[in-house]
Amino acid sequence: MAGVTPLYDAIWEDYIIWSLFVGAIAFGWLYHHSFFYRSKDGESPNVDNLEVGVFPIDYDNLRLEVAWVILPSLLIVWLTYISWAPLDAVWSQTGPDGYHGSECAEGESSDNYVDDDGYVYSACYHEISIVGQQWFWNMDCEDLSEDLCSTDFSTSGGETRPLLNLKVGETYLARLTSTDVTHAPKFNGFGMMEDIVPGQVTFLWLPAIEEGDSLMLCAEFCGDNHAYMTAQVNVSG
Amino acid sequence: MDKDSVLSRRLVVVAILAIAMVILPSVTSLPTGVDYGLVQDGCNCHSTAASDSVTASIDGVPESYNKSETYTLTVSFTGGPGTEGNENVGGFNLWTSAGTLTSLDSSTQLNSPQDATHAEEGNNQRSWTLEWTAPDNNESNIEFILHTNSVNGDGSASSADMWNRAEATAFGFGSEPLEDADPFKVLATLIVVSLVLLSIVVLYVFYRNNPDGFEWDRFAPWIIEWLTSTDHKKIGTLYFVQGLFFLGVGGIMAMMIRVQLSSPGNDFISQDYYNQFFTLHGTTMIFLAAMPLIAGFANWIVPLQIGAPDLAFPRLNALSFWLQPVAALLIFTGVFSGAGADTGWTGYAPYVVTETAHAGVSMWAAGQIMLVASSTLTGINFLTTIAVMRAPGMGWFQMPLFTWSILVANVMLFLSIPAFGVGLIQVLLDRTIGTAFYDVAAGGDPLLWSHLFWYFGHPEVYVVIVPAFGVISEVIATSARRSIFGYKSMVYAMAGIGLVSFIVYGHHMFTSGMSPTLRFVTMLTTMLVAVPTGIKIFNWLKTMHGGSLVYRTHTLWTLGFLVTFTLGGISGMFFPSMGMDVHLHETYFVVAHFHYVLVGGTIFGFYAAIYYWYPKMTGRMLDEKLGVLHFLTGFISYNAVFWPMHRLGVVGMIRRTHTYYITTDDFQALPEWAADWNMMISVSAFLFFASNLFLVANMIKSLIRGEKAPADPWGGWSFEWMTSSPPPTPSFDPNDIPTLKDANEHVANEPGKIGKWFQRLMVADDTAEEGSH
Repeated sequence: MAGVTPLYDAIWEDYIIWSLFVGAIAFGWLYHHSFFYRSKDGESPNVDNLEVGVFPIDYDNLRLEVAWVILPSLLIVWLTYISWAPLDAVWSQTGPDGYHGSECAEGESSDNYVDDDGYVYSACYHEISIVGQQWFWNMDCEDLSEDLCSTDFSTSGGETRPLLNLKVGETYLARLTSTDVTHAPKFNGFGMMEDIVPGQVTFLWLPAIEEGDSLMLCAEFCGDNHAYMTAQVNVSG
Repeated sequence: MDKDSVLSRRLVVVAILAIAMVILPSVTSLPTGVDYGLVQDGCNCHSTAASDSVTASIDGVPESYNKSETYTLTVSFTGGPGTEGNENVGGFNLWTSAGTLTSLDSSTQLNSPQDATHAEEGNNQRSWTLEWTAPDNNESNIEFILHTNSVNGDGSASSADMWNRAEATAFGFGSEPLEDADPFKVLATLIVVSLVLLSIVVLYVFYRNNPDGFEWDRFAPWIIEWLTSTDHKKIGTLYFVQGLFFLGVGGIMAMMIRVQLSSPGNDFISQDYYNQFFTLHGTTMIFLAAMPLIAGFANWIVPLQIGAPDLAFPRLNALSFWLQPVAALLIFTGVFSGAGADTGWTGYAPYVVTETAHAGVSMWAAGQIMLVASSTLTGINFLTTIAVMRAPGMGWFQMPLFTWSILVANVMLFLSIPAFGVGLIQVLLDRTIGTAFYDVAAGGDPLLWSHLFWYFGHPEVYVVIVPAFGVISEVIATSARRSIFGYKSMVYAMAGIGLVSFIVYGHHMFTSGMSPTLRFVTMLTTMLVAVPTGIKIFNWLKTMHGGSLVYRTHTLWTLGFLVTFTLGGISGMFFPSMGMDVHLHETYFVVAHFHYVLVGGTIFGFYAAIYYWYPKMTGRMLDEKLGVLHFLTGFISYNAVFWPMHRLGVVGMIRRTHTYYITTDDFQALPEWAADWNMMISVSAFLFFASNLFLVANMIKSLIRGEKAPADPWGGWSFEWMTSSPPPTPSFDPNDIPTLKDANEHVANEPGKIGKWFQRLMVADDTAEEGSH
């Protein structure tokens, strides 16, 4: 399993390209100027005649300054634009306007698939519930049949942790609540996380698009055994 | 002695060492015995791997030994090709961790009192007898390690020869396994040691500069002056020393964190301590190191730059400072009580008010409330000083950029920190008298804390970085011998950052069930921060254009700042994009990002400030060679620490956990190389920590025998370079404040419309008239 969503991959590449572009300009410029314009004798010349007690002469160029207000702003607008659409997908609404339809009827399958841009679509979804408490995850498959979702415990490396079995090709909507303090399940295999604040219900989409066993960790500091508050999620066929 | 002969001597020594290394193995090969140093990783004289068909044994090692008693040991082997009657059957090496071995006959010999082997005559034996005399104390456990060869007797080492190893232990009486050190004791010891070292250094420097100073008649007034002074320079120095001291303390905690993280599942410190250490590390570094460092330079430089004799409220200023060490004591109470705050510097509710959080959280909150008070008073003081005490001729737009940065930072701080104060008071009340602001069961709202905290927390990180912008603007212009490019756009950019800082904090809460509309708005505003920041970076770069850049240590740190801060800025752009943020949130990518802007930005900026203004503050120059060494070692090791963290974050390593999981057959987690990378980061972290000792050494050296500094060593233009180094007290004669001239044709001394309105707001009319006389 990739550890990140296909959507993440798609945005990441755009961002890396733009980062390299901006970095190349800034560092190329810095590199050139710091060598090309270095003082030959370590002292002079005093280009703008800096003098103690005298405010130095103006050195500006409105066109240039406006240019590097406008150009980065355009880049920002562009980056915001490409980051905007995924917003709907990450916190998709339920129902026909969302990415994952309505809740599946009994026996119905999500049949999820990933399109070329990294968006996941499903025919319908299954609801499960995850309750966080210090320092344990309580996972509940609710009414789902055994082949869609089951819970158990797994032991590895001397630690026992809750185990959640999901089925590949199905999309799950996890209803998250906490009984004590704020937690945040971070699904390493799904590249997703969401806070669970006590007294509040939050939701997290878990589209199982690939088989694999992965770890789910708590990503919001919750006290002593925070690091051991893990669970295992197995996605199988 | 000339250089050449020194060089040739060194070469001879190296050559001898090289020859010795080549000869050594043949010297100790069969039949003359084996040296323990060569057999530790397996006997290298024969076949390479240990063989099961040889059984080595040591007899006569007592289970527990009496001191100074002598025991007879028999070492032997069975199996392998060595059979009785061969001319050459086998050999052994016996090593012991203490006591002395004695050879009884000519079949054995000693390499050292603790290392015995067979002699040529003992070649044809399968067992040997020796004596061992115990040491004169029996507290520790003593180890014996035996290696034996079984050889086929053809006289040459070959793969047909075999060897094996055996170990035995003699236990001492009353020897108990060493107790694990209490991490708090370690930390507290290190802090106390640092304090003692600091005091010794201060006293030593004091002594060197004033050998008679320890006479009580002279010493008492000196110390009282420091404790009660309201002079902005003295208070600035106190802030400065406090900031550097806590930078060291925060660094020590970072080192303990790094040791723990150097390998997965490490048990150097337990999660209980780890959680307290990262909490204290964050709180210390931001509130007790970075903020005082900034306040130190602000105190020192702002009045000098604007031509003011002192700050507007000198006593308030002293109060601001003296709240700090008391607050620090409160925050650190946990270290000495054994239950320090374990909430993270963000102290998320409701955990922060629950029973599971340590008792020290109350003290931590109380200490921070004092820091809030200190910052608020500082804010009032600087805003007033900068508004009303500028020298004649200095309008708002003739202020040096460092002063501007302090003004912007204090406006931000002054407007945001009350929210934090309110939150802290609520937490303290919840924890002490049982109110229910954050108790969910009683209808409290945990998200309230997140809002109060981040409404302050995000401006706060700009409060810490904006003064560094000011420093960089000063240093780069002076070093390039140019006016700063786009002075006004620099000011507007800083003000823009200040403004935007209040409407971006939602990005810390993307994953806490926020409304989609707000998510979009916050994403946009967060991205917008890049625009004013970009303006500043481009302006700095353009400032160098056509200049003549003079390379000094502060120039190097400034160029280093431009590199690391730009990288930190770029990595910051990844977070507002939510498709990525849901993955990167709370990972090491975040840790890498904020260390790039806070260390690579603030700390590098203030290192530049130290090299730039230290001569002004002490009247003595710093050593450039040590400075360059500090920069090179610091810059390289710094990047080696934090750059790899980006990748660790991308592969999903979570922050604030004392351990991490590597992929196993059972589940996918971090890739295997993540463990090696963490070890590399830990090693680099120690190097980075050590590199800062160059700075400390440099400052001490400069104080004792640094060159005398002229009034304007670097050729800057602003007022602080007009006074002597160090400046007199009061810094400027109140009856003879200098007038700022303007090199531009148009003399724009008068403030603009908004400036006039603001000044009327700030100054009573009679004072204004007095000023115009």
